[in-house]
Amino acid sequence: MRSYLARRLLLLVPVLVGVSVVVFLVLHLSPGDPAEIMLGSQATQEDLQRLRRELGLTEPLHVQYLRWVSHVARGDLGRSLWMKRPVLDEVLNRYKATLVLTASGLLLSTLGGIALGVASAVRPHSLLDRASAVTSLFGASMPVFWLGIVLMVIFSLWLGWLPASGMWAPYGGGDLRDLLAHLVLPAVTLAAASLTIIARLTRSTMLDILSQDYIRTARAKGLVEGRVVFRHGLKNALIPIVTVVGVQAGYLLGGAVLTETVFAWPGVGLLMVQGILARDFPLVQGCVLVIALTFVLINLAVDLLYAYLDPRIQYE
Amino acid sequence: MRARRALAFFLIIALALSALVAPVAAQPAGTLLVGLVAEPVNLDPAQVTDLNSNRVGRRVVETLVTFPDESTQVIPGLAESWTISKDGLQYTFKLRSGLKFHDGTSLNAEAVKFSIERQINTEHPAYKLGKYPFANYFFGNVKAVEVLSAERVAFLLKEPRASFLAILTAGAASIVSPTAVMKWGPDYPSHPVGTGPFRFASWDRGQRVVLEKNPAYWRYPVKIERVIYRPIVEDQARLTELLTGGLDLIVGVPADFVAELEKNPKVALLKQTGAHVWYLGINNQKKPFDDKRVRQALNYAVNKDAIVRDVLKGTGSLSKGPVLPGTWGADAALKAYPYDPEKAKKLLAEAGYPNGFSTTMWVPESGSGMQAPVAMSTVMQSNLKAVGVNVTLQTMEWGAYLTKLRTKEQELFALSWMAGTEDPDMVMYPLLHSSQWTPVGPNRAQYKNARFDELLQQARLTTDQAKRAALYREAQRILVDDAPWVFVDHEIQIAAFTKRVQGFKLHPSFDLRVETISLK
Repeated sequence: MRSYLARRLLLLVPVLVGVSVVVFLVLHLSPGDPAEIMLGSQATQEDLQRLRRELGLTEPLHVQYLRWVSHVARGDLGRSLWMKRPVLDEVLNRYKATLVLTASGLLLSTLGGIALGVASAVRPHSLLDRASAVTSLFGASMPVFWLGIVLMVIFSLWLGWLPASGMWAPYGGGDLRDLLAHLVLPAVTLAAASLTIIARLTRSTMLDILSQDYIRTARAKGLVEGRVVFRHGLKNALIPIVTVVGVQAGYLLGGAVLTETVFAWPGVGLLMVQGILARDFPLVQGCVLVIALTFVLINLAVDLLYAYLDPRIQYE
Repeated sequence: MRARRALAFFLIIALALSALVAPVAAQPAGTLLVGLVAEPVNLDPAQVTDLNSNRVGRRVVETLVTFPDESTQVIPGLAESWTISKDGLQYTFKLRSGLKFHDGTSLNAEAVKFSIERQINTEHPAYKLGKYPFANYFFGNVKAVEVLSAERVAFLLKEPRASFLAILTAGAASIVSPTAVMKWGPDYPSHPVGTGPFRFASWDRGQRVVLEKNPAYWRYPVKIERVIYRPIVEDQARLTELLTGGLDLIVGVPADFVAELEKNPKVALLKQTGAHVWYLGINNQKKPFDDKRVRQALNYAVNKDAIVRDVLKGTGSLSKGPVLPGTWGADAALKAYPYDPEKAKKLLAEAGYPNGFSTTMWVPESGSGMQAPVAMSTVMQSNLKAVGVNVTLQTMEWGAYLTKLRTKEQELFALSWMAGTEDPDMVMYPLLHSSQWTPVGPNRAQYKNARFDELLQQARLTTDQAKRAALYREAQRILVDDAPWVFVDHEIQIAAFTKRVQGFKLHPSFDLRVETISLK
């Protein structure tokens, strides 16, 4: 187990290097450079060249990349070209907000999805099951930005129940209640698509399991229905669900980019969008590294969870 | 039993939700909440090029000369007076006495020298502390800044330039506290210190920038205690915050929301034409556009009224040329090209294109000052088709677009310019003087007219404004006849604010001067 963990953690290094190379190349090979964007349409050739030199953009690509790697190896992610601030400070500062949002989204979609899926499987073709099928179709096909704006218009503009944007009240506030009030709309928006996917998967897996012989046996020996469904049914259905939840975690991290933009949530996603538009290489690299690291770690956690759920699975 | 449990469950959920429903807190007296379209990049105006950073940063620092409310005529700022030498090469400023930076240090001639030289003098101790993108654009013509006494400072120029005072109103010309710059080093842009009406208080990244009133502000007592700027990218979110009390003031109201807001009794709207021009550039050196009649035909063919009315919905005013109408350099007698497709067809036939031709139009998807580029270009595309000119639209992301425009391959291209001042030199010279052809400068239309060049040059060497105005008027008449662009519109900025905001004025330079506001 321990050696497995060590091996998986070691594997992080090539994954992160690979990610950073791809991001580096994509950013540098796409047209437009930071000096051009910073100077805008007013720039003269002379200004541009001077700024490019100062930003270190005139050196060959591999030199730029290696210099960046050597700094990263020492824990220095560099300074944002555009904000002039240390990238590490900026990314870590925003990462907390993204974690809060993604974790809430994941919690909401997992719990909600499993609950909805189980309820549908226990009474297939009931009203609830049909309603859940329709909602799922709706939830999975609505783009995040559209859903976010609709929820915002209804709950903030019309009903005035919830704040429309930001993570904290602009003044005052700052307590847990303030945070939760701001979290509801973005978390629901973010979770919607994943929730429906998890719900559908839970339903079909549960339907399959509930028709197994051992379930009949459990019922025959007189167990309460709740125990049959949850202990004997759900626990065995969890392996595919956990796998999908792991994948959804990655999807949520990606979805956070849009959700954060719609709701002015001060996370890494919003920062990364601004960084990409400004071709701020160090900043985007920093954001991507953090997000990639999170995703890899979540996957590792999912793999470890298998062993807990199914004792037959062992790692060595 | 089951029903009762379900009921209990729903009650708990409802209770939990109602606990979250935050009653809108009473707004603390004296706090103004301003919504920005994007977060400021940093707060050192010498190190930024975007509007949002400047709108916040310029509350903290000030310039030697400045603009009054609602105009871009030059008036005294930190300098109470100035003299210009006969040859136009030396500008000497007398600073106001007794002014202090927010950190308590004195504003003096040394600070002025420091603020400018840190940007242009590679040996300056603060040069390496920042990147100054516009140093060359604004101060490339400055040979030296000389301290004559504690309160007198002189700028020595390499060659005369009548618009130099207008240049000194730019954000990059702000006077900063040398002590603070040296103390914070490369982090100074997050801790700006100046003499302005507000001093920097705090910055929660991605959430808000807080400025507090400078109680010792020299010009007038500031009536609000603090300003909180909130970056909210999504238009609908910004609007919702305004209508639900999360914001007091927003600028850059999207055209589609204007009609709705005009009907809303909770908010007031303010409009102001800005020192901006939106144009469809034409490559004057490429066939068939090297023929003046073809360029004129394009001007007749495009229905600018329809663009302003239906696409911009009142957020733009018709343009007759690059200079803002109503300012000292504008020619009031200038005639806009009317929408006249028949005349366009006739001109095309005369130029040898009775059946029209095909061409390509480059358009950015968005960009600073670009308004609604794709929608506007689509209208132009169909207008041009009606006179036989088949246009292929090529839309690009802003960064990629700017790179592409550095070539000479462009045929038609959509672009805009925010001069930030009404001085015609700051818009006509860079965009249309033949010394500024791309890739050297921003004359992407590759326009050249010897007489026009000469007039602009002469106007640069003349300090008398009335004489300059006469030269620029002649230049504008040449321009309209030569038609190097399709002149489209000048942006009308729109601000929306709640009824508690009093005394707010929009500024034609696109600056956001919240210091004039008082709160009810």
